[in-house]
Amino acid sequence: MPKRVLIVDDAIFMRNMIKDIFSGSGFEVIGEAANGLEAVEKFKELKPDLTTMDIVMPFKSGIEATREIIKQDAKAVIVMCSALGQESLVMEAIEAGASDFIVKPFKSEDVLSVVKKVLGEA
Amino acid sequence: MDLRRYLPLFVSEAGEHLAGYARDLVRIEKGVREGAEVKPIIDSLFRHAHSVKGMSASMELEGVSKLAHRAEDLVDVFRKEPKSLDAAAVDDLLAAGDALQAMVQAAATGEKPEAEPAMLARLAEAARRCRAGEPAPPRPDPARVGPVPETRQPPVPEPPAQEPLPAARHRRLRVQVEIATGCPVPAVRAFLVVKKLAGLGAVVQSTPGVDDLKAGRIPGKRLEVLLDTPEPVPALEKTLAQISDLASISVRVAEAQAPAPSPVPQKAPAVPDASLEALRTVRVRTEILDEFLDSVGELILATARVRELGKTVPPQHRPGLLENVDRLHAIVKDLHDKVMTVRMTPLALVTERLPRAARDIARKVNKQVEVEVSGAEIELDRAILEELSDPLLHLLRNAIDHGIEPPHLRLLAGKAATGHVAVQAHRERDRVILEIADDGRGMDPAKLRAAAVARGALAQEAAAGLSDRDAMMLACLPGVSTAEAVTDVSGRGVGLDAVKRTAEAVGGTLEIDSVPGQGTRFTLRLPLTVAVQPVLLVGVGEEVLGLPIGKVHGAAQVALSRLDRARGAPVLPYDGQMLPVHDLSHLLGFPEQRDRDERAVVVAEAGEGTRVGLAVDKLIGQQEAVLKPLGQPLENVSGISAVTVLGNGRPVFILDVQRLGVA
Repeated sequence: MPKRVLIVDDAIFMRNMIKDIFSGSGFEVIGEAANGLEAVEKFKELKPDLTTMDIVMPFKSGIEATREIIKQDAKAVIVMCSALGQESLVMEAIEAGASDFIVKPFKSEDVLSVVKKVLGEA
Repeated sequence: MDLRRYLPLFVSEAGEHLAGYARDLVRIEKGVREGAEVKPIIDSLFRHAHSVKGMSASMELEGVSKLAHRAEDLVDVFRKEPKSLDAAAVDDLLAAGDALQAMVQAAATGEKPEAEPAMLARLAEAARRCRAGEPAPPRPDPARVGPVPETRQPPVPEPPAQEPLPAARHRRLRVQVEIATGCPVPAVRAFLVVKKLAGLGAVVQSTPGVDDLKAGRIPGKRLEVLLDTPEPVPALEKTLAQISDLASISVRVAEAQAPAPSPVPQKAPAVPDASLEALRTVRVRTEILDEFLDSVGELILATARVRELGKTVPPQHRPGLLENVDRLHAIVKDLHDKVMTVRMTPLALVTERLPRAARDIARKVNKQVEVEVSGAEIELDRAILEELSDPLLHLLRNAIDHGIEPPHLRLLAGKAATGHVAVQAHRERDRVILEIADDGRGMDPAKLRAAAVARGALAQEAAAGLSDRDAMMLACLPGVSTAEAVTDVSGRGVGLDAVKRTAEAVGGTLEIDSVPGQGTRFTLRLPLTVAVQPVLLVGVGEEVLGLPIGKVHGAAQVALSRLDRARGAPVLPYDGQMLPVHDLSHLLGFPEQRDRDERAVVVAEAGEGTRVGLAVDKLIGQQEAVLKPLGQPLENVSGISAVTVLGNGRPVFILDVQRLGVA
């Protein structure tokens, strides 16, 4: 069964790009969220196997959202999408319970390699 | 991540924990009976159950993990209240251990075994009962035949998992990782590693420290973490393997015992910690050791062949060649010795399970027995040990079934109600002597003689001529048993025969001593190794045959016509005895040859204390031989036990003097 993915990012272009990386690679994108608030709601509703999470977003940051999701489900697998220069934020997200991270700009094979590893598939 | 690569290690480690688990249970029960302090052993028992739970969970064997968890729950009741432990609960835990062992074995073949719901319910009910301090329900009469309903109680709902798990044994592990060069933010990677490890235990030290990592400092892109954790190394490796951008990962045991993060002061562990040793040892599959030994054996043979060939080269080249063959031989011999050392395994491998087995057998036949094992640290070739496992168990069952009397009879005889079986091992030069002695009713040589005659195994006259000691060996004849009851649980006659044959197959012997009313002692004399044994090569007509040196007492050059004769056969005066001399050529059915009068006679052991003379044409000499077992159909041929190959490539059969039909 393909792993079910929730994509969280405030930029539509980023969401589409990540969606393209996943589709056709044995994953099923089951939902998208544009901010941290939506992310928590969608997670509760969809129970994805994997969530990709942007860090800086309106209403609620990716770090806050991660913290809340982990509180709901300690085993949730959340991969942070970060940019260079956000190191301290990524560490904060890791503290909050993120499983791994990818650094923008990213190549599709790098993204897939990280999420497959974190899901124990590689 | 492919867990299959951890499977062999898991099976072996879980097996060790389960063996320890069973051992602890028997020790605890004995301790409770004698009013001794059992708390440390219960702690050890708990750790074994806990380890199996953790390991199997890491291997995604939920069934195993669930059952181990249930066993752990029950043990936890006794950790708090050792007095609530009773024989019924020990039975429940032992049964769970057996089930776990079977599941681990099933897992070894790639299955994902499920826990029996009845077994889960049984443990839960036992935990409830012991927690409430209720006595065990009456045990069904073991003599009564018929299936025993496993679950009479309604299934008990699963208790919630206990979190956090108290006082698991923590080890200090040293984790070293190297961040891949292509990683744009190595400090963040390293931080993630530290964070993940912190989820599995207590991070004692991190180099660089977390503050350095937060500031982006990670010299050389290397991270080292000291972690106190109850998790097995594979679990850690599994977690680390899920992290991207790590160029290398190393997890090792840093030190034996780290204090568990528990507010309760811990007692010293009841079992020695093997993790320090783990630093310096590697695990090798035993088949590899066998192959290794085979290869070295071939090397010995090949060296001998080169030496033979050396005799055919021109004389001026010979000294140089032979000198080097000698060196080669010395090196190969040294290599062989080292391989043999590696194969040496403590006797504990087979004696460990005896106390537990004794308990089960005794409970089945309503007797009280205590087994005492000493000398378990003595080492033997693994190949011999593996052969010994069943015979030892058989001798133990024998001792309990037939030797040890029921408690009331023991009391009447002025003995303690609890019978005693001593399993003792010691070294005697190049042999290991293994004794299994009970203080039971003993065996009666007169009854054995009568039984042997009654079964038609022996003529009346022959039976009467046997010494008491030799009469004891009649117990080894198939079908001869001294058990009064016909319900011969252990099938004594057939079994002892098998024990004797096994002992002899590995180059050892079995002796029986018994004093009626006082007990019986079985003595196994075993070689340390099987593979290479010195043999005496003899020539018979065109054939060359080998005799194990261990069976040879001496040899003499004699003229047969000058020997005295008794009952038509020549007899050789030897060591104060007159030994019958048999012509080996006749015994083996070789074609008749012109009988020479001047012959070599080898004095060999043909049975318990029985010696015979074997007339051969010539003594060729002594040689180290790599003995190979005979395959079918040759192993059915009486009188030969193995085969070896000489330096010239010629196969030579090794004689089994006891089965030549001369004793």
